[in-house]
Amino acid sequence: MWYGPNLQRSYKYMMFASKMPSLRIDKSDLKCKNGCDYFGNPQWQGYCSKCHREQMQRQRKAEKESSATLPKPEQKKTDRGLKITSHSSFSKFEEKRLRQSETLKKANLLKFSVFKKSSTDDHDHSAEKRLPEFKIPAMVNEGMKSDFRMKFSQLSPSMDRDARVFVHSFIMDVIKCANVLTVDELSERVQRQYQRFMRHMDTSSHFTNVDSDTKELLMDFVEKHAMTYLHELPSVVFSPTGTDDERLDRAMSERIQQLSWVGEKHLECKLDRSNAECRQLLYKAISELLGMDSALSPGGKLSRVRRACRHVLRLCSHAAPASADDLLPALIFTVLKANPPRLVSNINFVTRFCNAQRLMTGEGGYYFTNLCCAVSFIENLTAESLNMDKKEFDSYMAMPASIGGSSWAAALSLCGAAREAQEQREGAAQVLAQAQQLQARADSLAANALSFEEQIAKKVQDVLAKTPLEIKPRRELPRFGKFKEINTAALIDLGSNNDTEEPKATAKQPQPQATTTQLTEPVYTATDSVEITHKQPDTSVIVQPSDEPKLNILGFEVIERESPSKSPQNWDLKKTGSTELLTPSPLGFTPFDSRSIDELMTPDEFVTDHLPPGLSNINYDIDLSDFSGDNSIAEDAPKTENKDPFSPDGLRKTVPFDPFAPQTSKDYAVLESFDEFSFVHKNQETDPFEVVHRGNNPFSPVEMRADLENDPFTPQKKSTSILDDNDSPTSACLLPSPLLPQSSKKST
Amino acid sequence: MSREFDHLFKLLIIGDSGVGKSCLLLRFADNTFSGSYITTIGVDFKIRTLEINGERVKLQIWDTAGQERFRTITSTYYRGTHGVIVVYDVTNGESFANVKRWLHEIEQNCDVVNKVLVGNKNDCPSRKVVVTEDAQRFANQMNIPLFETSAKENINVEEMFLTITKMVLKSKLEMKERQNVTSNDTVHLKKNHKTKKKCC
Repeated sequence: MWYGPNLQRSYKYMMFASKMPSLRIDKSDLKCKNGCDYFGNPQWQGYCSKCHREQMQRQRKAEKESSATLPKPEQKKTDRGLKITSHSSFSKFEEKRLRQSETLKKANLLKFSVFKKSSTDDHDHSAEKRLPEFKIPAMVNEGMKSDFRMKFSQLSPSMDRDARVFVHSFIMDVIKCANVLTVDELSERVQRQYQRFMRHMDTSSHFTNVDSDTKELLMDFVEKHAMTYLHELPSVVFSPTGTDDERLDRAMSERIQQLSWVGEKHLECKLDRSNAECRQLLYKAISELLGMDSALSPGGKLSRVRRACRHVLRLCSHAAPASADDLLPALIFTVLKANPPRLVSNINFVTRFCNAQRLMTGEGGYYFTNLCCAVSFIENLTAESLNMDKKEFDSYMAMPASIGGSSWAAALSLCGAAREAQEQREGAAQVLAQAQQLQARADSLAANALSFEEQIAKKVQDVLAKTPLEIKPRRELPRFGKFKEINTAALIDLGSNNDTEEPKATAKQPQPQATTTQLTEPVYTATDSVEITHKQPDTSVIVQPSDEPKLNILGFEVIERESPSKSPQNWDLKKTGSTELLTPSPLGFTPFDSRSIDELMTPDEFVTDHLPPGLSNINYDIDLSDFSGDNSIAEDAPKTENKDPFSPDGLRKTVPFDPFAPQTSKDYAVLESFDEFSFVHKNQETDPFEVVHRGNNPFSPVEMRADLENDPFTPQKKSTSILDDNDSPTSACLLPSPLLPQSSKKST
Repeated sequence: MSREFDHLFKLLIIGDSGVGKSCLLLRFADNTFSGSYITTIGVDFKIRTLEINGERVKLQIWDTAGQERFRTITSTYYRGTHGVIVVYDVTNGESFANVKRWLHEIEQNCDVVNKVLVGNKNDCPSRKVVVTEDAQRFANQMNIPLFETSAKENINVEEMFLTITKMVLKSKLEMKERQNVTSNDTVHLKKNHKTKKKCC
């Protein structure tokens, strides 16, 4: 083994060895075999183009010499066969075009036999022992088997075997003799083979019960398969070596082209060109004649000719029953217009290798004979045979082929095109059928996809039908709990201001606050939530001593955010809450904001959304006044204050200060500035501040009492001043206001 | 052996264009004969089976183009022919004059073949140009049986075909006997088919 002793390594190599080598080609393998540094090509037998050409020239020279010296190539056939294999494809191609020496062709044939060596054949026959280097492809056997089963299903398999044995030996014999015998001798031999098989059928016990018709069919069958195979071999039976068939083909083709001017009147054939049906028949006949070349067996070619001639016959017999007097000119005309490819080769092939009995008798033979006559007439066509003046004939012949008979030439090309179109149409039909199948499959796939989609949709709906049930409890249960929590928080917020006793009422309060803020300014929702969250920790921090720890434990943030905004129940609560809010608020504030609140109160009571408008209105009033008052100072002041609140300690300090000393001038200034600040930043921070204010006030429940207590004090003072009036509701806000920015900044 | 015929003969009808070759053929093919059947394939290609002396004979009759300009090329028709029917028109002296050329044609293409001379269109005495005596004299000179027929009136057609068939069959049987006397090897196997004997 080429891999190393190391087990692991060898295993790895083995893995690669088992998979890779077939795919991997070494770069050196692609190089020219001669070792020049260029890349080679398998079509050039692995040589590069230059080396291959040199090699070819050397071989050809050698062959010419050998052909000159050795008239009988049989003696050296093995050597030469091997030698010439190397340029098989090229020579095969060349010999179609070029007339080469007979010996070279025979050498090619030998090469061919060697070349075919690799093909396998399961058929045992004595001939194999004699010629072990050549085997008939299994394809022939298989084709014969299936064909036999199809055609002669009633016949015994022994006949099938006999037929195959005969075909095998026949092919072997022909190939063997093709090198030695001339074409005529080969033809003779082939005919003898046919007779041998006929005799075999007459004498063999296998065929005792077969009537003569079936025997003839069997004969045709054998001939067909043997000749179909031999036809494929280059220059063995079809335009074989040592004949002028190919040259004659070209000559004939050129001559027919030259005679394209010959019309029906020259041939005195009664054709009705104006009749469409007549033209159709002619095209059919031409098409059949053209198809003769593509048929492989003599029988196939004969049947083509027969069909063509039948068309021609019908073409002639439009008025009276046609005779041979009419048939032959019409056939000549058809051949002239068809210019069938390789006409001479085809005719010679049929003449030599078709079963002579059939060729000399029978309808096919008759029509083929007529065709032969037509061809020979065309070959020997003279001015005399057309009953025309020699000068005229010569002038016609001198005319370029393209000028004469233009209409028929066009018709012919049309006919060829029609034939191609027919083939194309068949192909297209197949493709169409495939496409339709594909389409059907695609449709079914789409339908499946749709049904699948529907199923999925149903399932999703089912799941959805179940899921709301899941969601509801989640919302309801936690909400209530949360509400309570919030309520507690709210309790602290508003309740601190108003009623600490009832959690429900307070619970209602914070929600409306949030909602109000949202309603007035939806932008704030986020900040609100943030603020609320901040509140809660604050509250928690502050409230903790007073309230239960459970509230803290529960997620404040999430619950609070969702609860106020989403559920309509909250709204209902809010409504009630709003009224309650208002009611308590006046209780606390009435003394402070007698004027403004009263004004607000009346609409608030009627409308559900009391708080937001009420608060905003209040704020606006204040703000406007404030703006007029001090812009510069106000702006400066809140900033400083904002900075101050950064330190929570300071805030707390301020917070206690606020309730205690709202009266101080500093506080007023602060209030003013704050209002302005809030107003200026309304979009972002003011509203939350407002909300927060109320929340903040309650944040310190302990202090609230003081506030409450203070409130009565402050309103009195505030009432005196306009600012105070405005401030009075905001004052509560003002106090916490420093807290809020802190909290917001904390959050951020 | 369940063969519907014992012998298969190929007959050729030659003669000038328009002498009524095809009509003869049609008449012969269209006539129903006892113990025989007709297969009509083409107008110019007929098969008919006759029974002669208890032997079933299948006749294939090939029509040929009679035009002057095709004369040189019709040699392929003669291949494998057992008998030739040379037809002339009794109302057309030229066609009778051309018989000589047709016979010459046969000699060139076939070694030995059975022939009959047929004067067709022998249904209108007023238009008859070729007198029977002249024709008979010529036929005797050539050693060919003469028949004056009318495809139109169905005169002598059947007899003519029967005669040529008998001649062919007789010559074949003679050939077979001769063949049996001499050794088989000397005879061309190719042409020595079991059911027929080629004469050319």
